[in-house]
Order: sequence, then structure tokens, then C-alpha cells
Amino acid sequence: MMNRKASYYKSVVIGGSAGSFSIVSKILAGIKSDFRYPIIVCLHRLKHIRSGLLEGINLKSNLPVLEPFDKDNMEAGKVYLAPSNYHLFVEFDSTFSLSTEEVHNHSRPSIDYTFSSASTSFREKVIGIILTGANKDGATGMHEIHKKKGYTIVQDPLTCDVDTMPKAALQLFTPDQILSPDGIIEFLNNL
Amino acid sequence: MGNLTFKTYLEELKKHTPYNFCEYSDNSIQRRIDKVLKDHKMTLEDLLHLTRTDEAFVENLVDEITVNTTELFRNMETWEHLYTKVFPNLKSKKNINIWHAGCSTGQEVYSNLILFNELGLLDKVKVVATDINQKVISNAKKAEYLYSAHQSSIQDYNEFIKKYNSNAHTFEHYCDMEKNTDKFVFKDFLKKKVGYMRHDLVSQDIPFYQKFDVIFCRNVLIYFNPELQMRIVRKFFDKLYDGGVLILGNHEALHGFFKTRFIRSGMVYTKSSTFQFKYK
Repeated sequence: MMNRKASYYKSVVIGGSAGSFSIVSKILAGIKSDFRYPIIVCLHRLKHIRSGLLEGINLKSNLPVLEPFDKDNMEAGKVYLAPSNYHLFVEFDSTFSLSTEEVHNHSRPSIDYTFSSASTSFREKVIGIILTGANKDGATGMHEIHKKKGYTIVQDPLTCDVDTMPKAALQLFTPDQILSPDGIIEFLNNL
Repeated sequence: MGNLTFKTYLEELKKHTPYNFCEYSDNSIQRRIDKVLKDHKMTLEDLLHLTRTDEAFVENLVDEITVNTTELFRNMETWEHLYTKVFPNLKSKKNINIWHAGCSTGQEVYSNLILFNELGLLDKVKVVATDINQKVISNAKKAEYLYSAHQSSIQDYNEFIKKYNSNAHTFEHYCDMEKNTDKFVFKDFLKKKVGYMRHDLVSQDIPFYQKFDVIFCRNVLIYFNPELQMRIVRKFFDKLYDGGVLILGNHEALHGFFKTRFIRSGMVYTKSSTFQFKYK
């Protein structure tokens, strides 16, 4: 980790279920405004409800948060939130593509899909972070990132409201780190 | 064929069948094929063999690879915009030509016809609807759906239309409910307005002579790579009247050249005869 060059990573991907909203807000509020990687956030959200999730997250974030459109480029220092009712994929050329195919693990967006596509496209140059959640979606995607030698962080289950999601990941592989939300912020700020 | 990749497979598929998925977004087409392999418990080599030899299998494969998600009145705010701001402008026209490109199982086709009927313009409307997938076309023609799967969209429509016109027909006016089953079917006066046909946007020329006032193509372009998207949008552009509208999915966007040739309002893109340099 320490020996890796500046701008080594191509993106940070973060996944959690609806309940992880406050953790994501906290992370984005704690992150320095000169953070130099794109951050992709995939949260389970309720269909048909204009939840104000984007507005809510933007309120406290130090970095601009947006819902990407199909084929948009990702840029350093921006946060991309998977839009409601679409799966969000990362392509080889650092663009996003969207899909309305079947729900996966009862979810659209599915964290597994976003994470696996990021690991396929960026291989070891991805940091995957899985947060609190009540569903096993994301575990397989984290495992893919781990298998391709990306860096993996699981939120410490002791700090989770619902620990199904982190525990499902921990059952599949041993991540590089298990961290509290504060630990995650510190890690990102020291990248 | 030990090192057969999904890309060479797609080349073979193109060679041996009418279908060309070579320019679909890499990640997404690869995942769809992986899913097919998993569902059928076969290798890519097995898939290639069947592709070369079994025509019925290929038709079924197209159904499995393509994404057919659709809803009645998907993204209500877009329909509200069409009903209040866009479609009323078509009143002075003698005919209103509409094309649903990638119509899937037809829910949006009927949603749209309902709005035109509510605007008193149904008689002027001529609708064609196309999809690459023969199976979904057959279902769209039947116009038979499950009530439970569409209940919340139906409620949303009823609330929306009453807001603008207290004398409007509710959704129930447009369909026959089958007693004791969960099914409903759209009435003939809507069904007979639509000409359905199988058509592949990617590999076939556009089969219509007329130009269109409205083209729906929602959540279709997202599966194509940027170059292919551009080629398809060019075809739409050429087939639209000046001032005609292209309606895309909620998180789709036009990139590159055509960004400057349409005026955007929400998901509705109006063909412009002049360049739009201030587009954002």
C-alpha cells in the first residue's frame, strides 16, 4: 500500500443498503475536498420513491455528488451515486453504463454488479468498501475485487446497525482491513 | 477453440445469424452471455456450437440476452411533461406519426395511446412499434398484463390525470379486467392503432418511409457502445420532422454531435434546425 505511486487507483467503490445513508454521509463529510479519486456509491434504494437521497447526501459532502447518466466519464474528486432503478456498471474506458435488467439480490441497483464491473475494468486499481446492510448483495462483488488484488475494506460489524452485508463478505474472504466509519475516513484521507 | 473469448463468439454469432451484438457495451453484453452460460450450464464452446446449428435456440438466446424491462407510465414526470407541454403542440397536425423503437412488451405503447385519447387526438395518431425480440412483440400484440404487477403505476396514472382533468377517464376505461384472474387486457380501439413488427435497430435499415413526430426509445441505447449509439441517434434524427421529439430513458443522455442538434427538456429531446451551442 505505502509503496504504491500517487494516483495509483482508478476509483473507490462503496456499497451499502438503505440504512447506510448516515454512514455514507459521514464518510463524505469527513473526506478532504482535495480527494483525488472518483468515488462510486451504490446504495439500495426504494423504487418509485423520490427519496431525496441525492440531495441528502450532497448536503454534507465535501465533494460534489451526482447521479451519472449513461456513458458519462468519471472524474477525480467527484462522487457518483447509482441512480434509482438502474444497475450501474463501470466500463474499461472509465465511463459508466446503465442497465435496467432484472433485479439482482432483490436490488436494482445491485452492489455486486457495480463492484464486479469495477474489478473487471480496473483490476487491482480499485478500493472496495462494503458498509452496513441487511442483504448479502455486495459480498460477491467484494470477493471479485479481492480476487483481482484490489484493496478491500469491510465496515467493522460491531459498528453496523445491521451486519448481514459485512458478514456475508467476511464469510467469502479475508479483506485487507476491517474498519469503523472513522477508520474508513482516515484511510481515505491518507491515500 | 480453446481460447474462445466472448468477443470472438459475438463475431461468430454475427456471421451465422441475423444478430449483431458486437457493438454492445463490453461489460454489459459479456455479463448477459455469462448469465446464459450459467443458466444453461454450458461453456462458450457449447454455446457457439448451438448458435451455428440450432435456429430455434438462437431466437431464444436473443430473448435471454436482450433486456425487456418496461412499465406502464414509467417515470410519471416524463409523461406529465409530454401530456402538458409536448403533445398539445401536435393538435394542428393532420396526422401524428409515432414510433416506439424497442417497444418490449408494449406497456409504454398503450400508456402513450391513453394520453393521446385523453387529449382528444387519438384519431390522428398512427403508431408503429418495433423490437428485436419476436417473443416480446407477440406479447405486446396480445396486450394482456398482470394487474398486480402494474397496480402502483395504474394508481399513479389515475391520480395524475384527475389532477389535470376531473372528467378524464380513469385507467379502467381502457381495459377489460378478467374476473377471478389477475389479468387485464387493453381494449381493441387501442390495440388496433398499433402496427407491430420485428426490427433490429443495429443491423437493419429503418423500414419506414414516413417521418415521425415522436420517437420513443427508452433504455435501449444504454446497451450500445458510444459509436453505435451515435449511429442510431443519427437515424432517429434523420427520421424526425423538425420540431419532432425523441424520448429517452431517465438516465440516458445524448453525447457528442447530436447534443447540439436537439433541445433538451427533461428526457424529451426536440429536433432543432439550428445548432444548440448553449446546451447543458
